[in-house]
Amino acid sequence: MTFRLTCPVCGKRDVYEFTYGGPERGPRPAEADPGSGLEAAVGSDPAVAAEAHFRWAQFRMNRPEPQEEWWHHGAGCGVWFSTWRDPATNREAPPGGAEAGGHEAGGRDSS
Amino acid sequence: MSRLPPSSTERIDRSRTVGFRWCGRALEGFEGDTVASALWGAGIRTFSRSFEYHRPRGLYDLEGEGSSQLVSIDGVPNQSAGTTPLREGMEVGAQNVRGDPRFDVFGLLDRLDRFMPAGFYYRLFHRPAWAARFFQERMRGLAGLGVLRLDVPDRGARAERYLHADVAVVGGGPAGISAALEAGRLGLRVCLFERRPWLGGHLDWRVRDGRPLAGEVSALAGELERIKSVRVFRHAPVTGIWGENLLTGFQCPGTGSRTDSGTAAAFDETHWECRARAVVVATGSIERPLVFEHNDRPGLMQVDTAIRLARTYGVRPGTAAAFSVGDDLGLEAALDLASLGVDVRVVADARREGHDQALVAALVGAGIDFRRGWAASRVRGRSRMSRVELAARTTTGSGSGATVGSAAGGAGDSLRVACDLLVASAGRQPDIGVLSCAGARFRHGEHTRTFELERLPPDVFAAGGVLRLTDLEALTSSGRIAGLEAAAACGADVAGALARERPRLADLPGPARGSSIVRGPVAERRLAPGRKAFLDFDEDGTWKNAAQSAAYAFDVPELAKRFGNFGLGPGQYRVPGQNLAMAMAEIAGRPVGSFAATTVRPPVIPPSLATLAGPNHDIHKRTPLHDDQALRGAVFRRAGPWLRARYFSADRECLEEIRNVRENVGLLDSSPLGKFRIWGPDALRALQRVYVSDMTRTRPGRCTYSAMCNDTGNIIDDGVVVRTGEDEFYFTTSSNRAGATVEWLRFHTRYDGWDYNLVNLTDAFASINLAGPNARGVLEKITDAELSDEAFPYLGCREIEVGDGVAARCLRLGFVGELSYELHVRASHARYVWDLLWEAGAEYGIRPFGLEAQNCLRAEKGHVIIGTESEQRVTLLDIGMGWLWDREDTASGKVGAAALRYCEGQSGRLKLVGLRVDDPAGDAGGGTARNVAHRPADGALVVDGDRIAGFVCTTRHSETLGWQYGLALVEERLAERGRSLDLYESLGRRTVRSTATVVPPHFHDPKGQRLRIAPEGRPRRSGEAPSQPAPAAHRRSPVRFDAAPARTEHRAGWNVVLDYESDRAPTDVMRQAGLVDLSHRARWDVQNRDIGTVRPFGLDVPARPGEVAVRDGLMINRMNGTQASVWHVGPGAAPAMPDGPHYTDTTDSHCWLALLGDAVPEVLESVTGLDLFEPGRARPFLTQGPVLHVPCQIVTWRADAVLLAFSRGYGQTLVEALLESGRHAGLRPAGERVFTDWIHALEG
Repeated sequence: MTFRLTCPVCGKRDVYEFTYGGPERGPRPAEADPGSGLEAAVGSDPAVAAEAHFRWAQFRMNRPEPQEEWWHHGAGCGVWFSTWRDPATNREAPPGGAEAGGHEAGGRDSS
Repeated sequence: MSRLPPSSTERIDRSRTVGFRWCGRALEGFEGDTVASALWGAGIRTFSRSFEYHRPRGLYDLEGEGSSQLVSIDGVPNQSAGTTPLREGMEVGAQNVRGDPRFDVFGLLDRLDRFMPAGFYYRLFHRPAWAARFFQERMRGLAGLGVLRLDVPDRGARAERYLHADVAVVGGGPAGISAALEAGRLGLRVCLFERRPWLGGHLDWRVRDGRPLAGEVSALAGELERIKSVRVFRHAPVTGIWGENLLTGFQCPGTGSRTDSGTAAAFDETHWECRARAVVVATGSIERPLVFEHNDRPGLMQVDTAIRLARTYGVRPGTAAAFSVGDDLGLEAALDLASLGVDVRVVADARREGHDQALVAALVGAGIDFRRGWAASRVRGRSRMSRVELAARTTTGSGSGATVGSAAGGAGDSLRVACDLLVASAGRQPDIGVLSCAGARFRHGEHTRTFELERLPPDVFAAGGVLRLTDLEALTSSGRIAGLEAAAACGADVAGALARERPRLADLPGPARGSSIVRGPVAERRLAPGRKAFLDFDEDGTWKNAAQSAAYAFDVPELAKRFGNFGLGPGQYRVPGQNLAMAMAEIAGRPVGSFAATTVRPPVIPPSLATLAGPNHDIHKRTPLHDDQALRGAVFRRAGPWLRARYFSADRECLEEIRNVRENVGLLDSSPLGKFRIWGPDALRALQRVYVSDMTRTRPGRCTYSAMCNDTGNIIDDGVVVRTGEDEFYFTTSSNRAGATVEWLRFHTRYDGWDYNLVNLTDAFASINLAGPNARGVLEKITDAELSDEAFPYLGCREIEVGDGVAARCLRLGFVGELSYELHVRASHARYVWDLLWEAGAEYGIRPFGLEAQNCLRAEKGHVIIGTESEQRVTLLDIGMGWLWDREDTASGKVGAAALRYCEGQSGRLKLVGLRVDDPAGDAGGGTARNVAHRPADGALVVDGDRIAGFVCTTRHSETLGWQYGLALVEERLAERGRSLDLYESLGRRTVRSTATVVPPHFHDPKGQRLRIAPEGRPRRSGEAPSQPAPAAHRRSPVRFDAAPARTEHRAGWNVVLDYESDRAPTDVMRQAGLVDLSHRARWDVQNRDIGTVRPFGLDVPARPGEVAVRDGLMINRMNGTQASVWHVGPGAAPAMPDGPHYTDTTDSHCWLALLGDAVPEVLESVTGLDLFEPGRARPFLTQGPVLHVPCQIVTWRADAVLLAFSRGYGQTLVEALLESGRHAGLRPAGERVFTDWIHALEG
């Protein structure tokens, strides 16, 4: 098995240069702490907030269809980016309803 | 030797004989022979014994299509005799033989076949239970191919080559050459791979009407060689095509590649990978064997084998020959062999019609007995063929399963012919291996009677014989079309050319009609027919086995393949491939078209495992103090990417090292510690996100200890953070996490758009840990800084100067539980500071200590190591470090905080406890006496009743305590103090039980007084050392070449080699390749969200990532959206780093090399898969990617000049690997002058 990914900085590279950051699942849900007033944002029950966080942190659907996912170009420029890929074929896929192309989310360290 | 008279097609040099040995006998062949042709030429008929029945096997094919021709060469098993060039002094041996190959002791197994039906090893010997193992061992002794000899060292030189092509062409026959030419003429980068050592395919050996056909393509091949963008790789089989057109294969050098050195040894092989935008597969066709009784006897061979023996190697394949063929190529071969003086006694053609009438007329004209609709039915003779029986095929039935009457000699519809050569073939099948690997689909076609291409994967095209074309014009025309289609896939505008070529092909003869025969006529016999009719030679799969498989309902090719072992051997699909489907169709009474072709899997042609392993360079990081520690007796162990000193003596308990730290002072090289600089308006928020503590409390001059968790609350890292400015921090991570830290921070802030910058300084700074009661006494001798507890307390951090004004960041920490100072100094200064400390500590008897001593020291103190005292079930809270967590902070979105909160009140979790191992003999009485109890090993299980309830993380004997102590993770209910634990471990076959008592996990100095107040240490040996000026500071490169410097220069503390003795003639270096160490030259990192507004040294940062600008002796590389690096390439001294937070001096972060000379592309091609010389890209340009798996920044300046920067720690090992991999291209160390001369020439 081998495929390539398109790094927004470096272009198409072998998948071995990247590490996987999981499917796109949105930012971390806000944490609810009893007494902080934050629970209003996620519902009054802290258990619901914990459950939401738990699902966010642990659940992956693993559907064989194109998905947006995060990759880190560790052996190259060192940026995180998101891209669309079909896990059934391992080919990059056209973005499903999102803006085209990967976007860069951070720079490289210097060593 | 039975050689024919010389012919124009042969590829042997009869003037040069080559001596070799066969099973101990001295034999001779010619230069240009393969092992197989030399053996056959020397009269050897039996090459090996078969896998299961130990049947004698000879030369069936010359392409490695099966195991019959596998031999051992110089002790290395399973070498393909047909494709291995003969070399002087080779020791060639037969395989799977006890005794002589002609009289194998186990040959009688052949008579026991009825006890070995299809799949018998799956079905028999299962009861009683011991039988399976017993018979398995027996069978393994009897069956098999070569024997791996562990006493034979691997002698081959292995190399790698990474190629880039617009169009890759597989196969160098007429179609492949035509395709490569079309693409090459358009200026595309083309790589053509031909598995034989020459181009031309089957035209190379065919002679028709006395005229060699090789001339038909030699002009095309010649033109191909002249196109600069085309590279031709000969003797380079393709092993597979993988995702997105990655081709893999290997090449045996010394056989005609453009770059070969001609001195290769027998086992030299180069693994290559080629990334292509489009692929043309022109693998041609292979023969389909005819199946009949004893169709595996030595003396029976393919049409191509017979004709190539004669035409390529000048070897007489036999004296009296019979032919049983199924196509015109077979008839042509019979005529040609007859013209060479072989007595061709009969030619049977399974076809009844569709012959080339000219060939038939010529055969009859030559007085050869030609029989239409006949085929071979049986071979007589064992190790040598004595007679062949042929019979007429009956007209009834779907195919071949006809019976003939009595086998009386020569009567009516059968015939016996005495001969020593039977050329047998049922016809031809396309060589679909590579296409099948690429993901092509096939469907059986009625006209060609073969599996025809149904669907091709994207950007893969097929041409020539693999489409069953046979007409020479049609072959080249289909090649041209495929080449044009591939060019179109690369974006070339070839619509016009395609529109002209396609109708031309349509007017030419199409795919040839195939023959339907799979099995020769079957005579009435007493025993079941098909017993010795082989569908697969590799695993002795017979027709009868196929019928048995079908009887067990494994009645489609894919199932029969596995149950009956057809095509699972080295030849894979070649011999049984299409025949298996045809046989199953006949046995099951179904049309062949209802079956799918079995899938071919890589490697299509097997390379040696050593080739796949490659050069296998040991690339790791070394600290700047590696060499000195080695001199001091360090025993190194790998720890992550680093090689670290584990012990400094043969004592694996390190008692002396430990005692020295507890009582005196020791030195530890802790350079792999992760070190980072983070700054920017949102730097603090980023730290708040990943650290569990309240990082707003970090203060200048003070170390704040904290930890990082993952989303499930597992502790993954710990370290200290120091505030170094308003929005700027310096922090450390554990050595194992250093590589992942930047990634981690960026990942967990990826949605926030925060403005912060990070620089990894792990390699830029060495870290020296000075620990022990006398640490202060040593340190104060090399610095004027105030070191008292008041001025520099525990957990303080000070910027000090040591020795000759060398800057050091000094952290007062106490991981080992003693007064200790961690000195972070520039990596290039590390050796200087290390030497100062040794000198200053000499009067105390300072000693080094290694990782094992540190491990004991910290465990005595109860300090955890992440990954040793923690694992994926264990949270920060479980190991008693919950005090670090700022549980009030919910606003920062701390990673892991939600999980910590969730499991805060959970019961039944694992908890970290201290252990005191019970000593049945009682405490032996303190001090240094050893207790006698068995020490449970790290990892021993804690057992409660009949359940596993935890495990031991670390146990050691403590001299300090006088007893065995340890740390363990146990279920909470067992974690109470004083509880007795049962520990179990396996020692070989024994299970050893011991017991221990739970104690608090702080053994040594539980109150931490030794860290906070410097205790009274051993007094200095002599009085106050005379104050003397420190020696001048010097800086060192991470690289040391194994070459003699001729001229050196001192420059700002560096000792720069201008010339090596070997550079005396610098033009020679440039004609090949030189490796220059530029690590002493300055480099700076520039980071800013709006990097366009930063003008480092007054220069503009290039607009796009990958762009490089050179001005005023400085090179600016744009790395990504927010980052650039500036390299000092010019003459003279480097300018001073500008002020401002955007700049970081990263001179010490990297090893910086220049590769100069004409062979640079060749060197780099063997170490990296990156496309560094992409045509049409404006140079210089920057590529960031792996070289020998090490992430590098690479600037392609010109084809003969490439700059390379990578983590400093890799310096020495990567340089050694580069020199080794580049040796074939003449790569050698060179002095800086080669670089400065090159720059000067560039400017001039």
